[in-house]
Amino acid sequence: MGPAVTGPALATQGLVAGYERDLPIVRGIDLAVQPGELVVVLGPNGAGKSTFVKAIAGVVPMHEGRVFLGGADITSVPAHEKLGRGLAFVPQTENIFATLTIAENLQLAADILPRPARAERIRAMYAMFPDLASRPGLRAGQLSGGQRQMLAVARALAVGPSVLILDEPSAGLSPRIAGEVFATLRAINKTGVTIILVEQNVKAALSIAHRGIILVEGRIRHEGEAAKLAGDPLLGELFLGGHKTARVAS
Amino acid sequence: MIVQTLVDGLIAGTMIGLGAIGITLTYSILRFANFAHGELISWGAYAALVASTALGTIAAPLSQPIEPFSFGWSLPLALLIAMLATGLLALFVDTLLFGRLRARGGAVIILVMAGFGAALTMRSLLEFLFTTKPAYFTDTLQIAMKLGLGARATPDQILSLAVGAAVVMGVHVLLTRTAMGRAMRAVSENPQLASIAGIDVRRVIRFVWLLGAALACLAGVMAGLIVQIRPHMGHDLLLPLFAAAILGGIGSVPGAMIAGLIVGLAEALSVQFIGAEWRAATAFAILVAVLLLRPQGLFGRPA
Repeated sequence: MGPAVTGPALATQGLVAGYERDLPIVRGIDLAVQPGELVVVLGPNGAGKSTFVKAIAGVVPMHEGRVFLGGADITSVPAHEKLGRGLAFVPQTENIFATLTIAENLQLAADILPRPARAERIRAMYAMFPDLASRPGLRAGQLSGGQRQMLAVARALAVGPSVLILDEPSAGLSPRIAGEVFATLRAINKTGVTIILVEQNVKAALSIAHRGIILVEGRIRHEGEAAKLAGDPLLGELFLGGHKTARVAS
Repeated sequence: MIVQTLVDGLIAGTMIGLGAIGITLTYSILRFANFAHGELISWGAYAALVASTALGTIAAPLSQPIEPFSFGWSLPLALLIAMLATGLLALFVDTLLFGRLRARGGAVIILVMAGFGAALTMRSLLEFLFTTKPAYFTDTLQIAMKLGLGARATPDQILSLAVGAAVVMGVHVLLTRTAMGRAMRAVSENPQLASIAGIDVRRVIRFVWLLGAALACLAGVMAGLIVQIRPHMGHDLLLPLFAAAILGGIGSVPGAMIAGLIVGLAEALSVQFIGAEWRAATAFAILVAVLLLRPQGLFGRPA
């Protein structure tokens, strides 16, 4: 799929980010995600999960630190160039162009590829998401929540990225549809795409992930193998909030 | 008489529609009402006049009228030069003014006020350079052709209608069938997502300025050819332009053109049946009625 990488597929060093310089939400995160890994980013509300991935994608200001993609420093790379370099990001909401058709959403992504490769990539996306292939002329705004997420993922995957970052793709979806989204992500990961997944749906996310990290107040407070983390009593306590969270977190 | 009124309305509506396309594109993609757009029409017309005169001076045969039209090859060539020059002028104003305000996160009202300021400056500069005396592309007299049902139109007017229709189709194809068109629609809907999707939003904005200004120039040249060239010509068209852009639905190119024709026809009919002094009020009445009854316009999406 994406370009060959040496070392981590994606790494952050001392990443500090937030909408205002004086009020950083992410307060120094070091993370290295290996090629082919599926890492889930967990944490209570306000922990800085979304801000962390948005800063990597370039849509929230990064104040300190560095980001590396396949060993290359992409800290200063503008947001619109990151997709072409192999870093795709799917926001939590408003992640498709509702006024464009399904076909136009995919074509839009493929437009950044060399012309000969475009049709093949779009065909590959339709093969991966047959639900979208059945009605390419439909306006994306008319799709259901689950279908929108699939289109958003397909749009991001259309360029063949090496790293795919998703911000709460199961938010607002029924358990059945959310299960389908997670199964799709697992299938995508098995094709070699490195995935970083921000999720509130802890159990389901850990069930498909290799590793989990837990953010609290903008910093990594706990991390480990997904299977072990799923059974870790710390996890439940971290999500309870209040004094318990503070005690465990400290 | 009524048929002639309709023909006159369609011709005026074509110019309004072309100008309104530029307004609707800049409004939907840059997200502010650019009141300096009328000045791009005037500057476009004067740029074409200067280029046409220069070409005619360099090569006199270029000024010889192409039958059955009133102008020579110097005008179409000058139009191409002027469209580029007007586009560059729009980019210059954006770099100098609007771009800086956008970078500071300026509120929409600040951009709108800046547009008023830019319009005043550009208009005054034209008056300074060319005076308020009307100018003409050609002094060749044209005989209006019979169209049937008692209606008449000059070859220049018929050509303007045809060019207007061709340009609308061209811009519509650009928006719906090309990568740049998709990028423009994506930026119009969600600039941040467009950026994430790999679109260079600043490049799209530059293209929108170039396209909108080039179309404004075309509208200015048509108005100059059919009526006359004056520093206030664009400013006088501003109200009908906005009425057409809003009636058509912000962001809709066919909507802007169709609404331009509707506004042009309504103005012509009001001159015929109410009185010439009510011409400007007609566009204003349409604008108010649309905002009250169907704010999204004929082809726009609801907010």
